[in-house]
Amino acid sequence: MESGVLTGESTTGEAVIEACKLGDREAFRRLFEKYKDRVYSIALYFFGGDEATAADVTQQVFLKLFTRISQFHGEAEFTTWLYRLTTNTCVDEQRKRKRVQQFGEGIEVREPRERRTQEDRLARAEVAHAVERAVAALRPKLRVVMLLKYFEEMSYEEIAGVLNLSKGTVASRLNRGHKILARRLGHLRGELVRAEQES
Amino acid sequence: MFTRHFKKHLTAYAHGELSPTEAGRVAGHLRHCAACRAEFEEIKLGIRLVECLPSVSAPADLWDGIEAALVREANRAQHPVSQNQLDAHTHQPTNPLRRAARILFPEDGSLFPSRRRAFAAAFAAVCLALVAGSVWFYMRSSRPTWEVARVEGAPRIASGRIGERGRLAVGEWLETDAASRAEISVANIGEVEVEPNTRVRLVETRLTEHRLELARGTLHARIWAPPRLFFVNTPSAVAADLGCAYTLEVDDAGRGLLHVTSGYVALETDARESIVPAGAACLTKPGTGPGTPFFEDAPEGFVESLAKLDFEGDRASLDAVLAGARPRDTLTLWHLLSRVGADERARVYERLAALSPPPEGVTREGVVRLDRAMLDAWKDNLEGNWLGGSTPAVRRVWRKLWQ
Repeated sequence: MESGVLTGESTTGEAVIEACKLGDREAFRRLFEKYKDRVYSIALYFFGGDEATAADVTQQVFLKLFTRISQFHGEAEFTTWLYRLTTNTCVDEQRKRKRVQQFGEGIEVREPRERRTQEDRLARAEVAHAVERAVAALRPKLRVVMLLKYFEEMSYEEIAGVLNLSKGTVASRLNRGHKILARRLGHLRGELVRAEQES
Repeated sequence: MFTRHFKKHLTAYAHGELSPTEAGRVAGHLRHCAACRAEFEEIKLGIRLVECLPSVSAPADLWDGIEAALVREANRAQHPVSQNQLDAHTHQPTNPLRRAARILFPEDGSLFPSRRRAFAAAFAAVCLALVAGSVWFYMRSSRPTWEVARVEGAPRIASGRIGERGRLAVGEWLETDAASRAEISVANIGEVEVEPNTRVRLVETRLTEHRLELARGTLHARIWAPPRLFFVNTPSAVAADLGCAYTLEVDDAGRGLLHVTSGYVALETDARESIVPAGAACLTKPGTGPGTPFFEDAPEGFVESLAKLDFEGDRASLDAVLAGARPRDTLTLWHLLSRVGADERARVYERLAALSPPPEGVTREGVVRLDRAMLDAWKDNLEGNWLGGSTPAVRRVWRKLWQ
């Protein structure tokens, strides 16, 4: 099927979703290109910088998206649906890993990424590195709201929609998450100032 | 007496998620509750930390993995399936992935024919080569900027003249000469008008902090963000917005004058803080920091004596300040409590108590030993008197003393 419906339209418009339901390859590809970095970022920070797991989860998310797109009837925003899929996949994957870990093969906390060896000399990378680990150590329900807030720039109402929570609960979880990070990483305040000056 | 704290709402407040009424309550509370202010600083640190995490790009080969999974299913879909793998009504495969694959790859089972795949690989290689060359440009263009509109004359950014509009990046100076004026859009939280002969620099702009440096000249700020998100550095103090509109002037010697037209502004250094409400003003000087705030409709003699007390160490001027204080000048007297010696503090207490008796629980002994809770309780009680109109006597004193 050709992708004429995509021309000049937003990537998540109704016509594009309909095109995906009918199997329009180009429409699927465009959806993937538009959202892959955001889905990958959430997965990467959810799993403490574990790139292999993040890639695996991202693939799972899009495979689920493609196979379930017919179930999307537009009751909610497309992004709400996509990020619900993403957070559920992250949480499911973590559960699986915990089960594996119980049998002694777990890799719950992996060594952080190696790709930043050179950049690690910079204060910003060092702070980011510490924050990455601290975020990964948060309880999943706190971690997820933080990631949706900062990587998807969602409002509290949107986050509440994705996670089926009240706005008050979202606010409360963000409050707790920030305080935990500040208390765990308060010693980095000086480095943070230097990092912000360098950036 | 119990005070309602707002600790659970501080993140929502920082994110601008509270209604104007709720935000106003939190802002008011933060002004006088040290515990909530400390917690707010902690929340802001948490936000700054998370903001350190960079966005990341997904690996380039991710799509290949997805495609491979779909192709595998498509290949299976091309082969006959047993009846128990088909839906009884639609005669489609029951496995959703297989269903999607059958739709996506009805014939060839591949998203990209081989020639298109080869072209895509070549195209990707060219893109990769372009990326390296683009990094330099990206690093420059990704710096946060604020929009600047020319109002009059020829304002300059980083020494270059702007047209009708320009962009002020972090670290860059905006300068106006005697015939030019400009207006800055402060992220999405307010506006700053820049008067002639002014030199101002964008120091920082991020979710939790927007900061300018005023080296000399005059600016008028109107900010509608929650308090303590917008700051202006001057050579002798920092003006911290507490939800307000104000004018800030700095002369060539680095001395400053803050004049608040609505809300509150804190003029502060590490050692000293002056809370300046609407209708009030405050002088500031390098080496000393912010002086004692006063209402602009105060008598000229009162303001002049206060300036001598603050900046010339003329302790005899305290007599004139105490004698000239009106009920509204409790703003000045309350600030003086923590700026004079213990003996003088008792005299300030007496005059302040005569103008506005302290609330229950606030004692002379407690105030003289600078009990923080008592000082705050008295301030809360006085704030009602600090609202009202004004006439600019300050400007005459400012010119007479320093210009």
